Amino acid sequence: MDDSTDTWEPHLLDEDEFIREVQSFAFWFEAIEGYLGDRPYGYDEDVAEAELDDGEKDRLVTILCNYCVGETAALEASSGLVRLASNNPSQIFMATQVADEARHVEVFRRRLTALGVDDVDAEIARRSNPELRDFRKRLLSFVDAGQWELAVFAQNVLLETMEDTVFRFHQSVADPITAQILTGVVADERRHLGFGENDLGRRLVRDPQRRRELAEVRAELDPLILGSFEASYRDLGLKPDQYPQLGRSYLEAVERLGIDG
Amino acid sequence: MTEDLDTITAPSADLATDTTPRRTYELEETGFLEVPKKWRKFYRHWQGAGDTLAPNEVICPVCKVVIRSRRELRPGDRVYCMPCMSRLVVVRRPDGTLEADVLY
Repeated sequence: MDDSTDTWEPHLLDEDEFIREVQSFAFWFEAIEGYLGDRPYGYDEDVAEAELDDGEKDRLVTILCNYCVGETAALEASSGLVRLASNNPSQIFMATQVADEARHVEVFRRRLTALGVDDVDAEIARRSNPELRDFRKRLLSFVDAGQWELAVFAQNVLLETMEDTVFRFHQSVADPITAQILTGVVADERRHLGFGENDLGRRLVRDPQRRRELAEVRAELDPLILGSFEASYRDLGLKPDQYPQLGRSYLEAVERLGIDG
Repeated sequence: MTEDLDTITAPSADLATDTTPRRTYELEETGFLEVPKKWRKFYRHWQGAGDTLAPNEVICPVCKVVIRSRRELRPGDRVYCMPCMSRLVVVRRPDGTLEADVLY
């Protein structure tokens, strides 16, 4: 391709070439280099720690414990999905998602340590939301059963879209270091939720009958994930009438996929 | 394989009503870092209230990034959102605004 001309643009790629490009390791590597190259732990190390009072720190620790559960679920599930992928670009993409999720777990756990948590695992076990832990078990059961569509829906559409909404809001009100960490995570989530919706969308065009099965899974998992993210908003100090439009992006996605009925 | 600018417009008769020449745009970097360097000028972050879309821009409905083209966009044009890997087609809403629908 000749990208040196003044008329050239990515929208001119043919569709197969587009998929090969955006689901390649090279695309992922160059993309994350752009926003993480100088932030090995997700934030600029010259940024000073903000003064948080005991209550603010306690709520932030609880929120980060829940983020760790969600990200660990995605790390474990996406690593299993590498083996289930039906084609090479999807397999490469899922491998890049494994790396993203591992990084998310690492930076959130490091942040917990920086906030004074000595035993991170114990704190996560003590503080994390039981609905989110149930969601993790169910997601991993889909992976263990080899159910690609159900796992991609639960992970890349449901979990990732809800995380994206909560992380964006949290980023807007967080202390500077947490906000920078979340900015990098949100950039990664864009790839994950987009992959999920587009992969499922293409599959549902070929096999519309799968919508019923996905709708059943949705009915089972919606309460778990909505409940756990509502809890995050409470931990962020919001009252119900102040919640940002939790679930709106997710509802738009399931409507586009035709599993909103 | 790549296509020329005319072939990215869907060949639908009801969409091909505007035959006036399209405006073209020189794209500058916008500080968008989430794709490899050579693609960055084709995307930007939506700035929220007070931001507006130029005639060569649409918002990706999946990830809310603004997608940019070197030319004025019209209904039927295909655009790609590289940050979230979505293939989209430009549509005109009843209120006259241009939006993008996802193509699976």
